[in-house]
Amino acid sequence: MSKLYNVSSSPHVRSKLTTGSVMLDVILCLMPVTVMGIWHFRLQAVLVILMSIVTATLTEFVFDYIAGRENTLKDGSAVLTGLLLALCLPAGVPLYIPFAGALFAVLIVKCFFGGLGHNFMNPALGGRCFLLISFSGIVTNYAVDGYSSATPLAQMAEGTAVSVTQMLVGNTSGVIGNSVAALFIGGLILWAMGGITFEIPVATLVSFAAFVAIFGGQGFDPVFILAHLAGGGIVMAAFFMATDPVTSPVTSTGQLLFGILIGVLSGVFRIFGSAADSVSYAVVISNMLVPLIDEVTVPVPYGLRKQKEESADGKKSFPIPKAALILFAITLIAGVALSGVYGMTKDTIDAQNLAASAASYQEVCPDAESFDYDDALTAAVEALDGEVYGEDFGRAYINEMVVGYDASGNIVGYVISATSGDGYDGNITLSIGISADGTVNGISFTELNETAGMGMLCDEDDFKSQFAGVNTDQFILNKSGGSTADNEIDSVSGASTTSGAVVNAVNAALDFYAANVQ
Amino acid sequence: MSSKTFHGGVHPVEGKEYARDVAFRPLLPKGDMVFHLNQHIGKPAKPVAAKGDPVLAGQVIAEADGFVSANIVSSCSGTVKAIENRRNVLGTSDLSIVIENDGAYTLAEGVGVETDYTTLGNQEILDRIKAAGVIGMGGAGFPTHVKLMPKKPEEIKYVIANGGECEPYITCDDQLMRTYPKEIVTGLKVMLRLFPNAEGVVLIEDNKPEAIAAMEKACAGEEKIRVMKAEAKYPQGGERAIMTVVAGKHIKLGMLPADVGCVVDNVATVHAIYRAVCKSEPSMERGFTVSGDGVKEPCNLMVKIGTGLEEVLEAAGGFKDGVEPEKIICGGPMMGFAMPDLSAAVCKNNNALTVLVEDPVAEAQEQQTACIRCGRCAQVCPLGLTPQMMAEAAERKNYERYEKKLYGLECIACGSCTFICPAKRPLMQLFKQAKAEITAAKRK
Repeated sequence: MSKLYNVSSSPHVRSKLTTGSVMLDVILCLMPVTVMGIWHFRLQAVLVILMSIVTATLTEFVFDYIAGRENTLKDGSAVLTGLLLALCLPAGVPLYIPFAGALFAVLIVKCFFGGLGHNFMNPALGGRCFLLISFSGIVTNYAVDGYSSATPLAQMAEGTAVSVTQMLVGNTSGVIGNSVAALFIGGLILWAMGGITFEIPVATLVSFAAFVAIFGGQGFDPVFILAHLAGGGIVMAAFFMATDPVTSPVTSTGQLLFGILIGVLSGVFRIFGSAADSVSYAVVISNMLVPLIDEVTVPVPYGLRKQKEESADGKKSFPIPKAALILFAITLIAGVALSGVYGMTKDTIDAQNLAASAASYQEVCPDAESFDYDDALTAAVEALDGEVYGEDFGRAYINEMVVGYDASGNIVGYVISATSGDGYDGNITLSIGISADGTVNGISFTELNETAGMGMLCDEDDFKSQFAGVNTDQFILNKSGGSTADNEIDSVSGASTTSGAVVNAVNAALDFYAANVQ
Repeated sequence: MSSKTFHGGVHPVEGKEYARDVAFRPLLPKGDMVFHLNQHIGKPAKPVAAKGDPVLAGQVIAEADGFVSANIVSSCSGTVKAIENRRNVLGTSDLSIVIENDGAYTLAEGVGVETDYTTLGNQEILDRIKAAGVIGMGGAGFPTHVKLMPKKPEEIKYVIANGGECEPYITCDDQLMRTYPKEIVTGLKVMLRLFPNAEGVVLIEDNKPEAIAAMEKACAGEEKIRVMKAEAKYPQGGERAIMTVVAGKHIKLGMLPADVGCVVDNVATVHAIYRAVCKSEPSMERGFTVSGDGVKEPCNLMVKIGTGLEEVLEAAGGFKDGVEPEKIICGGPMMGFAMPDLSAAVCKNNNALTVLVEDPVAEAQEQQTACIRCGRCAQVCPLGLTPQMMAEAAERKNYERYEKKLYGLECIACGSCTFICPAKRPLMQLFKQAKAEITAAKRK
């Protein structure tokens, strides 16, 4: 019998795409940000990236071997997972961190659930979330070479201005893959190559920006929105994490919904919750909703569309698919629930703040039996509208003013809560007690995060007692020490910034007192 | 005029360069001719010739059995040698009439007599088409006279001659349009007589500029016929893609094109209609491409129906020297049938023989991984189905979900999803199997 030719089901030609080539495309498009990260963080970044990739691949290799499965290293997905995880870590972490993260990502999230194509969440993000929970102090410590500075997001949370330009090139404190411009360029190339569709990145970024604009508290401030877009890994997530094919929806409608879900959840977490890790959790939670999204977005095939639109009575059906409504409802409920939790905890936090305030009020106005608001004074505080108070006190704010009464209801003094934004490390808030005749009773700090042994010494009686018993319009800071006049305040040695901020806040309070009581 | 297109689709290697400019060459076979009785959709034809009977070229040897069925006509003169099961291109066996070819090709009486179609009534036109045994020559093989008798002919708005030819490698329709443009236009005019309110459209992919030029020249001065360009993209030649492009029409579930005001026929079918009505020539031969990297002289041939594929390959010089091909496909690589050998014979709806030195499917099997859910299959599906989910349902034999939730039976088997799949999943195979099992279960 002569040779038989191969038989198989059509089609008999196949595209050049393979799983390996798909993964390789993503890895190549991550090269710009990897190079920027290495350029910025040097050897430390190289070590973290290598550790992560080697652990990821070795884990998969060993698991495949032990489980008797075909070696799946050639599809490149383990390398990609390792690289993505490393890009989400600070360069300064000890090397057991990328090891533990990659091990968890590949072994627990991927291999245990059936390997490639079966993992229920993005392995790299799963690994990062594991690290965030288990080693939170280390993974969010962005100190490099012992030099520490706040990340742009932390600065924003404190109301400090950040440089969007620096964030774009990644020249800020943060994770290895924090050059947003490089991520964006890589993402665009990946899209142009057909590696990802536009739906997920566009939906994620647009809905996130919209959420920040609406709920961010700064209105439609382009710089503020851009700064949020450039920080906290939202671009990385939009282009490289959320688009992970395995854990994103298959259909175009599903991908749009998925992107919106991530954008909104990231916004909720970032504005109302912890700033830095919002995106990781948003993506991982959305990953777990993918089977549901897929189920409700099965497209109506060509040819059935018209039929469905023209229902029996000739009416056009509602144009928004049911699926979109369901998902919108889910997002809304999730958002409301989260905001609810925030609201509840906010009340508790406020109550604690009040208790703390009450204690400090009592401290600076010891003769008072009770404190209460005075309508006129409260109105005067509200009239300030949260703006910087006056022109001579730096960035000082008046928060609150209460009246202290004795047991028989006579006014014994006033307490003003004032904040200065000019502290060495964030805000300084203090209560200033003023007796009925205008003499300062004393000051007490409710918020002070200055450098230990320096700025923090302002909280010592040596410094604070200088204000007590003085009746003056304004205090004067004396940086050289040895003050003689009552209204001169000796600066804490080596902490003139903090001391000056405190004096400014007290002066602002006195000025406010003079304007509204005397 | 810009090229129109449809949603989805893929761009496989065209492979048209092998044979596109090779003019038709008639092939007069010497060996036995085999006429499968099951060439068309519907009931197999009923033999009307018995073993030992002498037959002439153009003589009906098997008659349509029932409404959806078609006559089969001998393409040679000779003697009926046997009526027995013979292997078809699908690899299964069909009852077939085998004729010992005398090589003289003596025509039966009346074949080749010219007729002015304008003198014929509609019923006479349909009778001639039915008698000639014309079926859809693009692949499906639906009896043409049935297609031309919709319930309400006056509601047909478009009669479309499909010159899309989106299958890689195949160039016989291209050559047909370049060689017989006037005949195709006349065929369209014959069809338009049946549909008073319709206009004729010749749809051609924009990778065939010569065919477009030839057809436009032949259409010049025709008021009711125009040429339309479509972007070269697979599967443009599918009925649904054509209707989107020509009429913006959506063909609904379970409906024929006629129900949305369209009649779509392959240009080869239109040419066959012309020959049947105007020249009294039954469906005896067709344009046929022999191509692929394993063929010595890729070419387009005018092949007699019933010719053994061995002889067809020989006419193209056989395999390339020193080459042992891995795969031989009847038709093109996207939808054609891979054959274990060359024992089958050419049917009316076969348009090509594609010989591939290397089998891309065998290679793909080695690269197969688990589905990575990338969704490319859903992006390219011209019907907007979700092959990824269909495959999952089919693998789990959840046919209820496959049919009702995912509309799996709507699949036209174009193979675009399987072509694009990076994980090299055998999607098409799963879908064919699912369809077969669902249909079998329904018959019970």
